[in-house]
Amino acid sequence: MTPTRLDFFFSFRSPYSYLAAPRAFALPTRFDVAVRFRGVIPMAMRGQSVPRAKGLHTLRDVKREAVRLGMPFGRIHDPIGAGALRCLLVAQHAVDVGREREFVLAAGRGIWAEAVDVAADKGLRAICERAGLSWGDCATALEDPAVRARVDADTAALEELGHWGVPVLVFEHELFWGQDRIEDLEAALREAGLERSPTAAQAT
Amino acid sequence: MPTSPADVLTRRVLPRAVVALSQVGLPSRLGAATRRLAGRQGRVELFFAFDDPCSAVAVIDLVARVARRKVELDLKPVVRRGIADDPAVELKRRHAIVDARRVGRRTDLVLSREEPLTADATAFLAAWAARAPRGPARTGFCVRALRRLWLGSDGPVDPGDYAAIWREQVGGEPPAADGDDGVRRNERLMRRRGPYDTPAAWVHGQWFFAHDRLVQIGDRLDDLGWTVSP
Repeated sequence: MTPTRLDFFFSFRSPYSYLAAPRAFALPTRFDVAVRFRGVIPMAMRGQSVPRAKGLHTLRDVKREAVRLGMPFGRIHDPIGAGALRCLLVAQHAVDVGREREFVLAAGRGIWAEAVDVAADKGLRAICERAGLSWGDCATALEDPAVRARVDADTAALEELGHWGVPVLVFEHELFWGQDRIEDLEAALREAGLERSPTAAQAT
Repeated sequence: MPTSPADVLTRRVLPRAVVALSQVGLPSRLGAATRRLAGRQGRVELFFAFDDPCSAVAVIDLVARVARRKVELDLKPVVRRGIADDPAVELKRRHAIVDARRVGRRTDLVLSREEPLTADATAFLAAWAARAPRGPARTGFCVRALRRLWLGSDGPVDPGDYAAIWREQVGGEPPAADGDDGVRRNERLMRRRGPYDTPAAWVHGQWFFAHDRLVQIGDRLDDLGWTVSP
């Protein structure tokens, strides 16, 4: 039987997306679901203003949450602009070769915990190679208008769902916004009878 | 593309400094210890709005969460808040219903309302609550009014229902709703503290979106030494 699809809307400029990613990609190990990665252009690059108070609070709150989740956070290189877009383009290529999980996790760690400048070839290349991607193929994706069109389509899909921010996970038309709503999604998946038996989960 | 010094400052140095400074905990721990030595309670200021269902969840939960700590929960009703010119304000109001229902379910709170309320429809409650004496009377009124509003009713808001709650919790007749200086004061204080939306809890130098971080607020109080009494 085909697993139920979960759409995972993600931004490389969103530290909350970074916090959500490991748990989002781990959902298929415990539930009969397939996670479909959908990278979106950051809010601030879509003409939506982010006030200073929100920016400051986000950094402080994400640090507290990262400590709680045991994730590194703090050595940051804000990727807004070319960096975020280049990651989105490479992520589409990573989807094509089945390595989106590896790339998204590596890029998130690079941006939010290792201060990697993903706008520069040196930084992005190191992350691509860490994720098991060929730099030559990634460089081709960076220049491919069809890949850019897919990024725009994923961004538009989030807006069509009537939502504005990320991370968002969508399960059967129900949106779960925020890294702190994954537990509610898990409850919904359990209620829907999609939790794997312990033996099946171990085998995954 | 070479990185300019301005780029390094805004993309790397400043964010890193904000995160690093947020980890400095000694001053607030010392402040809390001094406060205890002086025989004073801890304090959580909770900025909330009656038209916000997530505020209802946060107020009801936090009242219970601080009950067995030597901590005062100072409820501060506001009306005007949010990001200026936010294009998603209507979407957020609708999403707040879904989200409050979801978060409330974790503690068996069941929302009765399907549609958002306007700030105008409940502004009188904020004005009343801001004039109630700080402490058990205000807390009792806010909790019962929020329960009635979000967990026990649907449709238009009838001030008569809430006047009855006021008489039971505060005593006498509710004040005229036109004097909202207290609400404006709360809104100014909230902006000064940093939060731009509700429900926001200010806990000795740190603020949290309260409905999202109920457990973490408890952890913060533990860290400052205001633990749960046996």
